[in-house]
Amino acid sequence: MSQLKLACLALLFELSAGLQLLVSRSQSDLLFVSFLLTHLLASAVLASLVLLSLHGRVPGSRRRTWLFIFSLSGFIPVLGMVGVLLGLVCLPLLPAPGSRSRFHSLSLPALDPHEYQQTGAFRQAGLGQFLRNDRAPVEQRLRALVGLQNAPARFSSPLLRDLLSASSEDLRLLAYGMLETREKRLNTEIHTWRLAWQDAGSETARRAAARRLSALYWETIYQELAQGDLRRHAAEESLRFLEASLEDADASLHLRHGRLLHELGRNEAAEAAYRRAIELGLPAPRVNPYLAELAFLRRDFAEVRRLLMSLREYPDQRRLEPVLRFWSEA
Amino acid sequence: MSEQAFPKAAEADVALLLEGTFPYVSGGVSSWVNQIIRAFPHIRFALVFLGSRRSDYGEPRYALPDNVVHLETHFMHDDLGRHGIEVAPRAGNMEAFARVVALHEAFRQKGTPDLSAFEALASELMPGGSLTSEDFLHSEQAWGFISANYRRFCTDPSFVDYFWTVRIMHLPLWMLARVAKELIPVRALHTISTGYAGFLGALLARSRGIPLILSEHGIYTKERKIDLYQSEWIRDNRNVFQKDSTELSYFRTMWIHFFEWLGRMCYDAADPIIALYENNRLRQVADGARAERTFNIPNGVAIGRLSALRAKRADHIPPVLCLIGRVVPIKDVKTFIRAMRILLNRMPEAEGWIAGPEDEDPGYARECRELAEGLGLGDRFRFLGFQKIDELMPKIGITVLSSISEALPLVILEGYAAGVPALATDVGSCRQLVYGLGEEDRALGAAGRVVGIADPQAFAEAAIELLQPDNWHAAQAAGIARVEKYYADYMMFDRYREVYDRALTAPVASAAEAAPLRCPVHRKEGG
Repeated sequence: MSQLKLACLALLFELSAGLQLLVSRSQSDLLFVSFLLTHLLASAVLASLVLLSLHGRVPGSRRRTWLFIFSLSGFIPVLGMVGVLLGLVCLPLLPAPGSRSRFHSLSLPALDPHEYQQTGAFRQAGLGQFLRNDRAPVEQRLRALVGLQNAPARFSSPLLRDLLSASSEDLRLLAYGMLETREKRLNTEIHTWRLAWQDAGSETARRAAARRLSALYWETIYQELAQGDLRRHAAEESLRFLEASLEDADASLHLRHGRLLHELGRNEAAEAAYRRAIELGLPAPRVNPYLAELAFLRRDFAEVRRLLMSLREYPDQRRLEPVLRFWSEA
Repeated sequence: MSEQAFPKAAEADVALLLEGTFPYVSGGVSSWVNQIIRAFPHIRFALVFLGSRRSDYGEPRYALPDNVVHLETHFMHDDLGRHGIEVAPRAGNMEAFARVVALHEAFRQKGTPDLSAFEALASELMPGGSLTSEDFLHSEQAWGFISANYRRFCTDPSFVDYFWTVRIMHLPLWMLARVAKELIPVRALHTISTGYAGFLGALLARSRGIPLILSEHGIYTKERKIDLYQSEWIRDNRNVFQKDSTELSYFRTMWIHFFEWLGRMCYDAADPIIALYENNRLRQVADGARAERTFNIPNGVAIGRLSALRAKRADHIPPVLCLIGRVVPIKDVKTFIRAMRILLNRMPEAEGWIAGPEDEDPGYARECRELAEGLGLGDRFRFLGFQKIDELMPKIGITVLSSISEALPLVILEGYAAGVPALATDVGSCRQLVYGLGEEDRALGAAGRVVGIADPQAFAEAAIELLQPDNWHAAQAAGIARVEKYYADYMMFDRYREVYDRALTAPVASAAEAAPLRCPVHRKEGG
């Protein structure tokens, strides 16, 4: 039965109950019982109507809700039924039942091809050997080469440089493209900072630009991009800009200062810079290997041993372990 | 010369299909085209120039020879939106799209692909065909095809990028189909590259049944690959979980395949397919050319004119290294600049010159200038712009070529003829030009030095060695002997005379032989 029919029925019952009292002048118990039954019937229909209209908006037992509305309408004279009717009218203004929606079953999602690579990833173990192997299929070597894009430049640049003489032209060209992209990024930044250095309006800005330029030239060396005489040129430029911006309190700058002097063969000055870095608080494991290298160049092997053995005091020297073992046995 | 003043004709003998070269761009290929046209004054040439945007080119760099009776220019990026494409939804021709599907399936086959679907589609792409650009842009069939392919194959998450990449990539093909439809009648076609010009040649050959000659200097597909490997405009939208570090981005691969297939369609339609030297011929075969259609015709230079320049040389060896060529990435001008830094450290009197236009890739030219400045080369390094060879050659000590890819560079041969040895990277036929090919050729000696690509240290050291008087004079003598014996222009012209004679006397294929006008299905039905 539709809600409209229920509403009409409730109204009909309630009107007939009221009419019984208005039309009859008798005050018999029978009349009262007849009115009460008709009114309660109207309240029952009204309660059913309200329950239907609620559509599960009210949590808990539906029976108790029905009894509550029935009692409200049936046992509070006039106001009870008026209140229930008013509530019914205002019901659409209440928040939608969706806010309390239950879980729904969903079908399985379709496989998203973007999450699925159609070809297996190349195993990166032995990448260098694989790339240099002229007998390996070119397609696979190309894929391995593309995989180098995410490898640290310091390790991948020498490999890319080796591949510039590969027998496959595609490999050569891809390796060249990757190296060229790296060099281009650094060169563009160097040019930008050179202009900033030339046009600096204050000594602070000039020093900041010089520090950045020194770092960028150093990066071309660190990434193994500059080779031969160009490497020396980059070291000289990096040193020039570093010395123009060196702050006495910056230990890491003194370390780079030492490394640049070391690179340029100015070993005594390099050693002084390394020692200054240690004085300023740089831990020995970061500096002693370079000091040991300088000592080795002086043929002062006792000093090499002393410097390296001092590193035993520090934890996690895995990368140096073979060197330490050699010198401890020497 | 304004475009209105370009010659127009009702017909011609040979249509030369030129992409980004003569007469607007100077360089080796353009010089070669100029040579060829002038060598055959009895042949009436129609030139079809394909470029990117009109604004990318200035005035023509070459005077048009008298036997160029027709010249038309088409700028693909300018023309794309010009021809009143009707923007309205449409259903699209189901049969035509079925052939598109068949063609793409053929592309995915391994081994020798069946390109009969392209034959069927060639004329349908033209105005009035059943596969118009309007259908491609606005039909439900096209939408269905693109979205289905995205779901099946695309490994990039962005459908929007995929959709627009497909549109931008394919739209020029309809522009080329319109050019093919409107071109004046010709008896033979000659394309100087694959790519868009080669595709236009294939369309014309298939739809008109006339012979197509392909003369490839560099390998177009390879050069596009170089560009695409280095390009930064192609997006990769995969996130860190989706990305396989050994995979190129899907869009980059898509562009590479697109140019590979343009090349295949050209190779399929062309006969003969001419390379400049053996390695390039083998590469053409590997890329899909039928071996029996391929052969080599090396470049040649005008010995008489250039040898007169030897008398203009000074007695001493000028310590000048000159790169004659466009300032573009493929020439790897940066390696030459870096090498000059090393050379100047050891030979302060040396000079480096770059003689070539900088307008083709202004961004790269700017980077080169910045690099030269950053390396402190100062006035020992000069960008001269375009220069006349005849004025330049007597002033230079070594012709240098630091390219990462070349074919058979004319500039080395011109240098030899003018008495200038060469220093080149080991690309293309440079090794053959410097050290000789066969036993007899090698016996002439080294006409310069060859080093690996992108190795400025080796480049500079080789230059120092070559500038030693004994070495230099020996290289000069070897260069002169080699160019006179193997690379004179009349040798090249004789070979091309045979090629043109054969093409111009070939009977025009009948409608049935021209094949492309009907699809294979209908052909079967017709018996």
